[in-house]
Amino acid sequence: MHDTFSRRRLFLRSGAGFGSVGLMSALASDRVFSGDPSVGDGLHHAARAKRVIFLFMNGAPSHVDTFDPKPMLAKHAGESPNDHSIDKKNRAGGYMPSPFKFAAHGESGVVMSELFPKLADHADDLCVVRSMHTDVPNHEPGLLLMQSGHQQPTRPSMGSWLSYGLGSVNANLPSFIALSPGLPVVGPQLWSNAFLPGQHQGVEIDTNHSDVEKLIHNIRHPHLSRSDQRRQLDLLQQLNQIHRQQRPGEASLETHIRSMEMAFQMQREASEAFDLERESQPTRRAYGDSEFGRSCLLGRRLLERGVRVVQVFYVKKNSKQPWDTHRNNNSGHEKLCADADQVTAALLSDLKSRGMLDDTLVIWGGEFGRTPYAQVDKDKDPKKAGRDHHHTGFSMWLAGGGVRGGLMHGATDDFGMHAVEQRVHVHDLHATVMHLMGIDHTRLTYRYSGRDFRLTDVHGRVVDDWFA
Amino acid sequence: MALICCGSGIVPAAEQDAESIEFFERKIRPVLVSRCYECHSADADVIQGGLRVDDAQAMLRGGDSGAAVSPGRPATSLLLTALRYDGMEMPPDEPLPKHVIRDFETWIRSGAAMPDLAAESDSRHEPVTEPGFDWDQAKQFWAFRPPTLHQPHEIEGHDTDRSSWAATKTDRFVLARLSQHGLSPNPAASKSTWLRRVSFDLAGLPPTIDDVDAFLADDSPDAKLRVVDRLLASPRHAERWARVWLDVARFAEDQAHIVGNNDSLTYPNAYLYRDWVIGAFAADMPYDEFVRDQLAADLRHPADPDQHVALGFIGLGPKYYRRGDPEVMADEWEDRIDTVSRGLLGLTVACARCHDHKFDPVPTADYYAIAGVFASTEMFNRPLDDSVETKAGQAKKPQDAMHIVREGKPRDLKVMIRGDAKRLGESVPRGFLTVLESTDDEARQDDGFQNGSGRAALADAIADPTNPLTARVIVNRVWRQLMGTPLVATPSNFGALGAPPSHPLLLDDLAVRFMNAGWSLKWLQREIVLSSAYGQSSEIDPAKSELDPDNRWRWRMPRRRLSLEGYRDAILAASGRLDATVGGPSIDPQDTSTGRRTVYSQVSRLDLNPMLARFDFPDPNAHSPGRHETTTPLQKLFLLNSPFLIHHAARLADRIRSGDPTDRGRIEFAYRLLYGRPPGDEELGLAETFVADGSDERWNGLAQTLLISNEMFMLD
Repeated sequence: MHDTFSRRRLFLRSGAGFGSVGLMSALASDRVFSGDPSVGDGLHHAARAKRVIFLFMNGAPSHVDTFDPKPMLAKHAGESPNDHSIDKKNRAGGYMPSPFKFAAHGESGVVMSELFPKLADHADDLCVVRSMHTDVPNHEPGLLLMQSGHQQPTRPSMGSWLSYGLGSVNANLPSFIALSPGLPVVGPQLWSNAFLPGQHQGVEIDTNHSDVEKLIHNIRHPHLSRSDQRRQLDLLQQLNQIHRQQRPGEASLETHIRSMEMAFQMQREASEAFDLERESQPTRRAYGDSEFGRSCLLGRRLLERGVRVVQVFYVKKNSKQPWDTHRNNNSGHEKLCADADQVTAALLSDLKSRGMLDDTLVIWGGEFGRTPYAQVDKDKDPKKAGRDHHHTGFSMWLAGGGVRGGLMHGATDDFGMHAVEQRVHVHDLHATVMHLMGIDHTRLTYRYSGRDFRLTDVHGRVVDDWFA
Repeated sequence: MALICCGSGIVPAAEQDAESIEFFERKIRPVLVSRCYECHSADADVIQGGLRVDDAQAMLRGGDSGAAVSPGRPATSLLLTALRYDGMEMPPDEPLPKHVIRDFETWIRSGAAMPDLAAESDSRHEPVTEPGFDWDQAKQFWAFRPPTLHQPHEIEGHDTDRSSWAATKTDRFVLARLSQHGLSPNPAASKSTWLRRVSFDLAGLPPTIDDVDAFLADDSPDAKLRVVDRLLASPRHAERWARVWLDVARFAEDQAHIVGNNDSLTYPNAYLYRDWVIGAFAADMPYDEFVRDQLAADLRHPADPDQHVALGFIGLGPKYYRRGDPEVMADEWEDRIDTVSRGLLGLTVACARCHDHKFDPVPTADYYAIAGVFASTEMFNRPLDDSVETKAGQAKKPQDAMHIVREGKPRDLKVMIRGDAKRLGESVPRGFLTVLESTDDEARQDDGFQNGSGRAALADAIADPTNPLTARVIVNRVWRQLMGTPLVATPSNFGALGAPPSHPLLLDDLAVRFMNAGWSLKWLQREIVLSSAYGQSSEIDPAKSELDPDNRWRWRMPRRRLSLEGYRDAILAASGRLDATVGGPSIDPQDTSTGRRTVYSQVSRLDLNPMLARFDFPDPNAHSPGRHETTTPLQKLFLLNSPFLIHHAARLADRIRSGDPTDRGRIEFAYRLLYGRPPGDEELGLAETFVADGSDERWNGLAQTLLISNEMFMLD
């Protein structure tokens, strides 16, 4: 069968251990991995999505202000939720209705709040999941669970798993790239390969910068011209060839020679891929000049050039989790959504106009949601009221990549407190994303520490309602 | 409403009045979701008692005990019985508040209205079986049987004719295996190849030109022995081998997360533990002592606090977010158990946190027996000296502290059912792995695990010469470092799912002789590097390769790539910048202003130095059984363009040019300095042509080329 086992066997047969895996994954098109044309680009079955971009709203957006309208909150405004699992002190603010108007959009009638006027034009492309739930209402474990399927920083991220399972399309670029203006909370563990081979680690790009040199370390020699460096590289490769010829049969030496050549080529490729100046003015205007806008535009350029997984973190220079609106929830969401709305709509339009949306999966959401009840300061000023972390019910959406547009999946209860219908756990999201990418989440495993690990551990259910 | 009384079904949502539904949504459903779903919904790992409360039909149908709800009849509704703790007790951790139970009563009395979710309604069952362990049989597994000495002539295939090849007892085991498989060893590697190999392996640095000249000129029979003794006595040796241990110990100087600008999750003095490890290797501290001190130095040497830095092995482990939460503490204990069990015993005991180990004889009770030891041990910010600010005996600032551990309040843990910190089973007395327990009754009666935390007893149990795993595991790790691949291919898993040893008799014999040699790691290294197996050439013979492509039977030395440490240190040595200072605070390995060795690099769990991360340094968030080797274009970009390489290339170029006045002489010097050999004619010609214009740029370019060529980081 064309499962991971045969992949691993293939690697083992090459005789040089993990050294050669790096080259294969860096060189190979996906087809090398499956070896079976009938599964197309996938590993276990035909892929609906060839690439994925995850727009991650650090800090957790409020579901009842964005995609999950709860009129009951207005009717019972100020009443304390009848949920003794919540500390009394924390629910003292009572239910807090959203001040934002909700409406149905597009032919499908997908509902969202007035905070997303531009995204509303893409309503028929969105699969809005209103019944997400996760395990813990704290950022760190929540982030780790969303990114790696586990609350502690010891497991590979979803991007690493996808890179491991599918390999790279472009020999000259990494297969998994994390775009973030500065580090988000938790940091590099969010794109860690953990125990997977090193080339599956997300390559972190600090999008506070726009200089290619600062975006990718060592992408250019500080003073040698390309032709001078080529001459030096020619000498190097000649010496390497002499060295190799004296050691017949040693496959890893050839790997190093080819990898060096790739690096040289990548200097040009990456310089081009990471250079936003090459985009037209209208395109750059559409995305705007926020950190998130630059990240998403860069993300699209990378996807276009064969990067498998782009992880965009909505982080700001002065805030590692801007969506964490414990205070001033309403004004905070107005500001954040204005930016997110423009950029996200621009990205969807851009992908669509380039014919990429059909096989590019776009995911939007945070580590959890926010409480339907208020979090108030000591002075109890309702205008400054915030919302606290909330993990038992929240919303995310997906678009493109074989996902059914115009769908609203699942529901929370009347107060937005708990996901109650068609509940989707983070593990289920992971299982479904992998499925869309052509991977059976139960079969992509890696033997480590005495057992076979997988992204979804022993959990995960593919939500096939989402398939187009 | 007649339907309700029949109890045959829950009224479809459309026919129920909105008020009842609202009551359910407001008062009942939130409680079901937050308190019951975890075990009684479609999402539960195992649906407890076969009961689901997330679906109207399933709730009515009930679970193993019958219908949960009889609409209109609270008195006969099992759900209410359980909520009232009347015979059954739900939720199991604590009863719901009285007013909430009253809400349920009201809801059931008025008809138990709830919307029909039309969810899939098949109950999922997973039989929970309690496999008993047959301990006598379990102990028959090779790794649990004590290792014994062997004589190579006992081995079938032992080839006395070729015994002259064998320089050590080790070789005779290797030769027997080769003969059994119709193979013969490679001829010996050249003297210069062997010297380069053994210099990197023992000291982590290339031989100097003088070292090479002296060794090539020494034709005496003990020339190799002299080299090995010189290397083992060098402080460079301890620095090189300390790093091997730090991988095992998942050494790091901070935590994987930060909270604001809070520096309490950094360990600015963690380097003291690293330096303790270096000191221990330099002194050839017996390995059993080495292990004991890292687990229990405070209990073994109460009057000698200097030795307590060894406890960094536990004390510098991960601290997770939200400490104090029982689940988070349970995760931390898992880290300690994982590091100790995989690192020291080659067993994946952490697998038994949620269920009995599926493949090895490790019941969940054993996991919690050891976890109890760590639960009875607490983190301790020991003040560095009397001058620092303290609070309750601990240093206030991490800069003033050595982060170790000390005795906490001794306590036994209850088994957490399926690893759930909220669902507790029976209490387990602190103790060790049953399968490794001594059968000696006297030893068992003297239960040191009840003495304080039990850490000293745990240390003794691991370092006990009758423990079948401890010596084998470290012998295998050392073998791997020196021979390229281990005897047991899974160095941190000697269990049923691990690999069996390729040379079981050799492994056992070495383990026993290692213990008999006073657990001396230097003895072990000497034994291995003086073997003919180690001294073979790495040439690939196609015929042998056909028979044994993976070199499982050791007909050649594998060609190996230097670790990042070996490579960076070799660059420093070549450029003349190597700083021989031993110990001290950590450095940034990319910093061109320092010549300190790579073992002194800052190691961060939060943000691993990019140079380390790029070159396969293991993730310090968990024990590393061994490094992966990757070859990526990003590594090569570092070689081509990094300030580090460009700086050291320029220094090397200066060094080359300041010596011999001729191009040829300079190039020859560079080859001897970097590769321990003169250049070949073709190499010389290429290099001479490249630097023909005599420019700085070309000399720097040649120097960089030699530093980043494959020969620089490959060992024959």
